Amino acid sequence: MELVIRDLHANIGDKEILKGVNLTVTPGTIHAIMGPNGSGKSTLSNTIMGHPAYTVTQGEVWYKGQNVLELPVDERAKLGLFLAFQYPVSIPGVTVANFLRAAINAHRSVAGKDTRETAIPMAQYRKDIREKMAALGVDDGFARRYLNDGFSGGEKKRIEILQMSMLKPSMAIMDETDSGLDIDALKVVSQGVNALLSQNPEMGVLVITHYQRLLNYIKPDRVSVMMEGRIVREGGPELALELEERGYDFIREEVFGNGN
Amino acid sequence: MVTKLPVIAALTAQDILVASEPTWLQQWRQAAWQHVNESATPLWRRTDLTAYAFADMEFTANASASQLGSAIPAGVVVMPLSQAVQEHGELVKAHLGSAVASNASKYAALNAATWRDGWFVYVPKNHEATLPLHLVLGFGAANTIVARNLIVLERGAQLSLIEQFAGDGGPFAVVASELILGDGATLKYVSMQTWGAKIHHMGHQVAKVGNDATIVWTAVNTGAAHQHVDAETNLVGNGSRVDWMAATVAGDGQRLLTAPWLRHVGRATEAHMDFKTVVKGSGYATFDGMIKIEGGSTDTITRLEEHALHLSPQARSDSIPGLKIDTNNVQKAGHASTSGEVDDEQLFYMQARGIPKFDAVHMIVMGFFESVLDRIPLDTLREQVTADIAARI
Repeated sequence: MELVIRDLHANIGDKEILKGVNLTVTPGTIHAIMGPNGSGKSTLSNTIMGHPAYTVTQGEVWYKGQNVLELPVDERAKLGLFLAFQYPVSIPGVTVANFLRAAINAHRSVAGKDTRETAIPMAQYRKDIREKMAALGVDDGFARRYLNDGFSGGEKKRIEILQMSMLKPSMAIMDETDSGLDIDALKVVSQGVNALLSQNPEMGVLVITHYQRLLNYIKPDRVSVMMEGRIVREGGPELALELEERGYDFIREEVFGNGN
Repeated sequence: MVTKLPVIAALTAQDILVASEPTWLQQWRQAAWQHVNESATPLWRRTDLTAYAFADMEFTANASASQLGSAIPAGVVVMPLSQAVQEHGELVKAHLGSAVASNASKYAALNAATWRDGWFVYVPKNHEATLPLHLVLGFGAANTIVARNLIVLERGAQLSLIEQFAGDGGPFAVVASELILGDGATLKYVSMQTWGAKIHHMGHQVAKVGNDATIVWTAVNTGAAHQHVDAETNLVGNGSRVDWMAATVAGDGQRLLTAPWLRHVGRATEAHMDFKTVVKGSGYATFDGMIKIEGGSTDTITRLEEHALHLSPQARSDSIPGLKIDTNNVQKAGHASTSGEVDDEQLFYMQARGIPKFDAVHMIVMGFFESVLDRIPLDTLREQVTADIAARI
């Protein structure tokens, strides 16, 4: 199913950040959103997922026949949306393993059914998490550590991808996943995403990034450029390369004129 | 037919004595009783002392309703304190009142003068008790329990001790715990106030820590309507240490106060305090702490953390930490404090993974307490307390 964003306006406090975003992400495609700092990229991903700091003043986000803006955050996740955070928070006292199991069981839960019936069997869960951790080069010991507590930037991002590969979303939003990653970590994380894509070819991915660098490893089918709270340009992968070469200024001039 | 028991306010100096007790103890009780009568009511602004009125507290000579929750670890002396007075008189005489002074407060004096209940625990020199000892104190015939626990670890001794106040009844509990650690001794002490919801709990707990001795103190306060606990670690010995954690849950109608005092007296003493509080409904919790680094204490390391989570807008927590340093040779002194609602970013993160808000709050709160509850050495007790807290959040 497509993710369709229509005329989305969102504020933080009294300040309007999103000023009418229109965007469609097709299943089975990788759609990159590029833009300079402050253009509203992270606001877009947080608003789609329902961060309480942002107020939607206008517009809709449709997915699987529902306006997701009307759903609580956890229902959006259960619908298949996943946000890989730019800055994953730490949750002291809650281990990676327990957290992820709670997340998986929440996804598996069915209204009116005992959660003990729908929960993932322990043995299967242990096997799954071990395999996925090995694939991402995450040490076994991380399962018993408190979530993101004292993790390095690269470790946090790997754990984000670990969660993504365990929860198997149908539409993943990756918010500046490349920030704070060195090139080796970037490769591992990208391989993780690509492996997931090859197993779930119908998954849609919205990749939000400032730099073209990440797109060398996660190859986009579509590229949209965001500026001042709107999508101002759309194109194919070649647009990312052009931005890499020429910077954002040429688009700014085209869209807003020289005097802006 | 219920016999009407006398109340404490109506007792005379003769009523408090136990005929079979030795003269030194009778005199000790009399001195304490004099202090009860002569000392002023404490000015505790955050504790409503009308909840602890002497005119309401019944007194009886055989109030005991204590029991052991575990086997007695091999080589450790465990018996009611009143029995120890007869069988280990010299030991009791040497240590009774050496940690909790009778003149510490009117209520400490009351405890000294009128205690009938409580335990004596003695670990001989260099004896390492491996299994945890679990003491449970509860209400008996009277509406008041006055209990005194005397815990003595000789040089090099080791013990893991759980002291639990549990059950309904009362509502008045006036308790004192004296913890005496000889040189090089190690005590893992879990003190649990898990009373029923109507109890008024007044406690004094003092640990006196010898040279190179260590106390690992874990306080769990979840029960009672009112709690006023003066808790003190006295790092007397050189190289003595305390690792002190607490988990407090104050729900609807509960007013729970802990006043921890930490005294650095010896040289190269080290303390880590980490006190965690969750308040909910109309619950009210107070941390009224003081760290005192005495003049002779050099190369001191001390660290205090206190964190409070508020689960409802009416719930309240007060934090009044104090630090008084009378030496200019402190190695490290640190303090961190937070107070507020469950973090929005944590909640959003968990919900974004499909976890409903209710469950997310639950996991965050239980995670908050994890490091404290993890130190309860008996699995069944830990699981029970964890489940009790989980059910109340």
